[in-house]
Amino acid sequence: MFTSQRRLRLALAVAAALVVTACGGAGGGAAAPSGGPVELTYWGWDPNMDKVVEKWNAANPDVHVTLTNPAGGDQLVSKLITAHQAGNGPDIAKVEYQSLPSLVAGGVVADITEHTAEAVGQFDDATLAPVRFEGKVYGIPQDVAPLMLFYRQDLFQQHGLTVPTTWDEYARTAAELAQKAPGVSITNFDAADPGWFAGLAQQAGADWWSSTGTTWHVDINGAETKKVAAYWEDLVAKGLVAKNPSFSPQWNKEMNDGTLATWISGAWAPAQLGGIAPSTKGKWAVAPLPAWTAGDQQTGIWGGSATTVTTDSKHPAEAARFASWLNTDPDAVSEQVKQINIYPASTAGRSLPVLADAPPFFPNQPEFYGIVKQVAPGARSFSMWGPNVTVTFSSYTNSFGAALQQGSPFAGALDTMQSATLADITKLGFTVG
Amino acid sequence: MTAVLARPEAGAPAVARRGGTAWVPTVALLVGAAYCIIPTLWILIASTKTKTELFSTATYLPSLGLAENVVELSQYQSGIFWRWMLNSFLYAAVGGVVASAISAATGYALAKYAFRGRELLFNTILAGVLLPQIVLAIPQYLLLSSVGLTDSYLGVLLPQLFNPYGIYLCRIYAAAAVPDTLLEAGRLDGASEFQLFRTVGLRLMGPGLVTVFLLQFIAIWNNFLLPFVMLTSEEKFPLTVGLYGLLRHGAAEASLYSLVIAGTLLSIIPVVALFLSLQRHWRIDLVTGAIR
Amino acid sequence: MAVAPARGVPAGAPRRRGSALPYVLVAPAVLLFLGFVVAPAGYALVLSVQSRKVSGGLLGTGTTMVFSGLANYQAVLGDVELWRSALRMLLVAAIAIPGTVGLALLFALMLDVPRTRLARFSRLAIFVPYAVPGVIATLMWGFLYLPATSPIGGDSIDFFSPVGVFGSVANIAVWGAAGFNMIVIFTALRALPPEIYEAARLDGCSELQMALRIKVPLVRPAVVMCSLFSALAALQLFNEPNTLRPLSNAISSTWVPLMKIYNDAFVDADLPRAAATSVVFTVIALGVSFVAARLIQRRVAG
Repeated sequence: MFTSQRRLRLALAVAAALVVTACGGAGGGAAAPSGGPVELTYWGWDPNMDKVVEKWNAANPDVHVTLTNPAGGDQLVSKLITAHQAGNGPDIAKVEYQSLPSLVAGGVVADITEHTAEAVGQFDDATLAPVRFEGKVYGIPQDVAPLMLFYRQDLFQQHGLTVPTTWDEYARTAAELAQKAPGVSITNFDAADPGWFAGLAQQAGADWWSSTGTTWHVDINGAETKKVAAYWEDLVAKGLVAKNPSFSPQWNKEMNDGTLATWISGAWAPAQLGGIAPSTKGKWAVAPLPAWTAGDQQTGIWGGSATTVTTDSKHPAEAARFASWLNTDPDAVSEQVKQINIYPASTAGRSLPVLADAPPFFPNQPEFYGIVKQVAPGARSFSMWGPNVTVTFSSYTNSFGAALQQGSPFAGALDTMQSATLADITKLGFTVG
Repeated sequence: MTAVLARPEAGAPAVARRGGTAWVPTVALLVGAAYCIIPTLWILIASTKTKTELFSTATYLPSLGLAENVVELSQYQSGIFWRWMLNSFLYAAVGGVVASAISAATGYALAKYAFRGRELLFNTILAGVLLPQIVLAIPQYLLLSSVGLTDSYLGVLLPQLFNPYGIYLCRIYAAAAVPDTLLEAGRLDGASEFQLFRTVGLRLMGPGLVTVFLLQFIAIWNNFLLPFVMLTSEEKFPLTVGLYGLLRHGAAEASLYSLVIAGTLLSIIPVVALFLSLQRHWRIDLVTGAIR
Repeated sequence: MAVAPARGVPAGAPRRRGSALPYVLVAPAVLLFLGFVVAPAGYALVLSVQSRKVSGGLLGTGTTMVFSGLANYQAVLGDVELWRSALRMLLVAAIAIPGTVGLALLFALMLDVPRTRLARFSRLAIFVPYAVPGVIATLMWGFLYLPATSPIGGDSIDFFSPVGVFGSVANIAVWGAAGFNMIVIFTALRALPPEIYEAARLDGCSELQMALRIKVPLVRPAVVMCSLFSALAALQLFNEPNTLRPLSNAISSTWVPLMKIYNDAFVDADLPRAAATSVVFTVIALGVSFVAARLIQRRVAG
C-alpha cells in the first residue's frame, strides 16, 4: 500500500495523532495514585482464586491486588507476550512451569531474586528447579503435579481387574478390559495437551531440553521418548485406547459414563473431575503411575505453576511479596488446597492439616494426599524446559493429531516436533549444540 | 436504479390467494427452516439439563435444570455473563450508530459532490473490504497500545467505526434516493450545504441507513477476533469472547459446558428479538440494488 | 489531506462554489481509514522485514528486533504448511460457496412461488442464523457433531473424519449465511415487474419453467453479488475451524491461512513472521478479488 518508509512513518504518525486527539488520553494507566494503596493486577485462571486474593486484600490495605482471567492456560501465555510487546502486562501472572523459560527469554517475566530470598528457603531444590535458572529466581512455585494413575475403582472391581503397577501390566489390563467390557477403553491418547505426553516422556527418562553453559541441547525424538510413543502407538493400533482429545465434551461424556476406565493425570485431577464427570463422585481412586521396570518410583509431571512478576510491573517488590505470601503463608496455601485442590509446592505446605482430608470428590480414598506425598519425591521433569516450548507444543498437537487421524507413525510425529523446535530455537539466535 | 426503491413487500400477485397449496415449495422451505432451527432447538433442550445430566441422559430428553443453569450462570463470577451481554449491546449499538453516521456522511459526499481525489478515495476505501481483519488486528493492537487504548472500550469500538461496505452502500443509496433537483431547489432557497445534508440528504437516506446500521450492528455483535486480541479484562468482554473463554476455560481444566450451553441460548434470544422487531425497517433490497 | 478547494470539477458534476462540506463529510472516514487500515497495514509491512533475535546467556534475556530483509518472506513462501492451509480453505470454499448461494437461490425461488404456505415463518427461520455469531454457531454445531451429544447421528457418522471435517466446517458457514443471501435474492425477485409473469403464464409456462427460464437469469446480478460475499467470507474463514478445533484431532492449529497467521503471532510469538504471512495472504487475496470483481463487472455490465 505504501512504497516508501517515509510515507509509512508519516501515516503512522497521523494515525497516532488522530487517536490521541480524538480520544484525549482515555487510556487507563496502571500507576498508583500517590498516597493511595499500591494497585497490582494479577492474571490467573483458577476458579475461586478470588477468595484467596480477598484474604490478601483484607490483610494488606496498602497493597491491593485485582485478579483477572483474560484467558485460560496456554492462551494466557499468548496474552502475556502480546501485552508485554505493548508494555501493558499485569504485575503478577500465573505461569505454568513449561512456559516460564520462554517468558524469561521473551523478557516478560522479571528476575525477583532480591525480593524473595526469604520465601525461597521454604522450598526444596527439586521444586525450585523449574523457576530458578542460572541462580536467578523467576517465580514462586505454587503447586507440584506428579503424574499419577486415576482409575475407576468400581469398574476395576466389577471386572475383576487389579491395579497395574507396570506399563506391561497396564497394557494387559487394557486388553483384558476390552475383552470383558466391549466398548470400554482403558484411557484415551490425548493429542491435544502436550503436557500430558511430556510427563510420560519424563518418567521414561527423556530429556527434551538440557544445557551446558549457554548451549542448548534438544532431544525430543530420543530413544526414551520413542519408547513411550511406540508403547502408545501399539495400544492405539490395537484399538485399546480412545483417540479423543481430553477436556472435549466427547471425552467428558466418556469420563462420565464409564467408557474410560483410567485417567493418567496430575495431582490436581480431583478438582477437575468434579466438573468433568460429576456423576462419578466416589468412584475414582488414585495409584502411583505404572513403572517401566517393576519397583521403579520415578514419575513425570503434568502442569504445575509458579506465581511470577512481570517486567512491566512498576511495583516488583510488592508483587513479589504477594507471590511469596500466596505460596508460603499457611492460611493462603490451605485455602488453595480447599478451593482448587492444589498439592502445595512449599515444604511446610505439604504437612498442612488441611491435607489430612481427602478431596471431596474422593470420599472413598481418605489416604489420597498420603499417596500423593509418597509419589511426589519421585517426580522428575526435564533438566529444563526450553525457551520455545510453545512451538514444540503446538507442533505436538498438530503432528500427533494428524498421526491419530491418519494412522501414521508416532515416531514421525516426534521427528516433526524435533525439527520444528530446532528450527525455531536456531532462528531466534540461541546457541544449539 | 428503480430496484433500490422498490417496495419490499409489493408485487405478490393476486394469484397467490387462488387455488390450493403449492406443496413442493412449502415443504422444501419447511425443511430449510428445520435445518436452521434444529441447532437452536438442541441448545434449548440441552440447556434444560443439569451438569450431571448433560452427558448422561438421552440427547432429546429435556429436563428441569434450565432455571438452575441460568441461576448458576448468573452467579458465575458475580454475574459477569450479563455484563458481557451488556457489553455486546454497547459495542454493537454505539459502533453501529457512529459507523452508520460516518458512512452516511462519506457516502453522501461521494455521491453528491465532485471533488478532487473522489474516485481514488472511493476505490481505496473499497479495497479495505478485502483486507482480512486478522491481518490488521495485531498491528492495530500494537498501535493502539502505544496510545494506551488497548483493553478499553474505545480500543474495540474505534477500529470498527470504519465500515467500507457501509460507505459503498451509502454512496449508492444517496445517489439513488437524493435527487439533485431537490438539492438545487434548496440552494436556490438559500439553504447552506450542511443544512441540505442534514434536512434533505439524511432524511431521504433514512431507510437505507437503518439497513447499514443493522449490517454493522450484526458485524460488531458477531465479531470475535478484534475484542479477543484487544481485551484482557473480563468485565469488558463481549459475549463471543466471554463464551469462548468459558469453553476453553484453561489448560488441563474442566470446561463449563452446561454454563456455555445456557449462555449460548441466552445470547441468541435478544438479538433475534431485535431483528424481529426491526424487520419492518430492514431493507436488504439496498444490498441488491447496489450492484448496478 | 483535504485542504485544497475543489478545482477543475468535471463538467456536468454538481459544482458547489468551493464548499468545504464534502471534505468535512469524508474527513472522519479518511482519518479512520488512515488510523485503522493504512497505519496498521504499514506497520505490518515494517514488522515483516524484521526478526527477533536473542542474546545474552542461556535464556537470552536480551531480545532485539533486527532488520532481516526478505528472510521472513522466503520462509513463508517456502512453508508447505501455508499452502496446505490455503488448499484446505479452498476445499471448504468449494463446498460453502455453492452451498450457500445454491440454497439461497433455491429458497428465494420457493418463496416467490404463489400459494406457498407458511412462507413468512420459513423465511424468518432461515434468516435467523445470520444473527448468531460464528463462534456461537460453531459451539452449537460442535455439540451436534460430537457422538456424545449428537442428535443428528453423530454416533454413526463421523463428522470429524479427515474428509468429513471439510463438510462439517462448510456446513456451519452455509448455515450462517444462506438466510441472508436468500433475502438478497428474494428481494431482487420481488423487484421484477409482475408483467413478465403474466405474459409467461399466458404462454402456459409452469412455475418451474418460469423459475428457470425467467427468474434465474433476471436475478443473476444478485446471485453474483452473493457469490462474491461468500467468496470473501471464505477467504476470512477463521472463527468456525478455530472454535471447532478443541473438539477433535481433525483440525490443526494451522488449518486455514488465518489460523496459521494467528498461530504464528500468538502461539509461536513470532510477530514478524505472522506479518509476512499476512502480507503474502493479503496480496494473493487482493489479487484474486480484483480479478473476480473485474470478471463480475464485465459479465454483469454485459
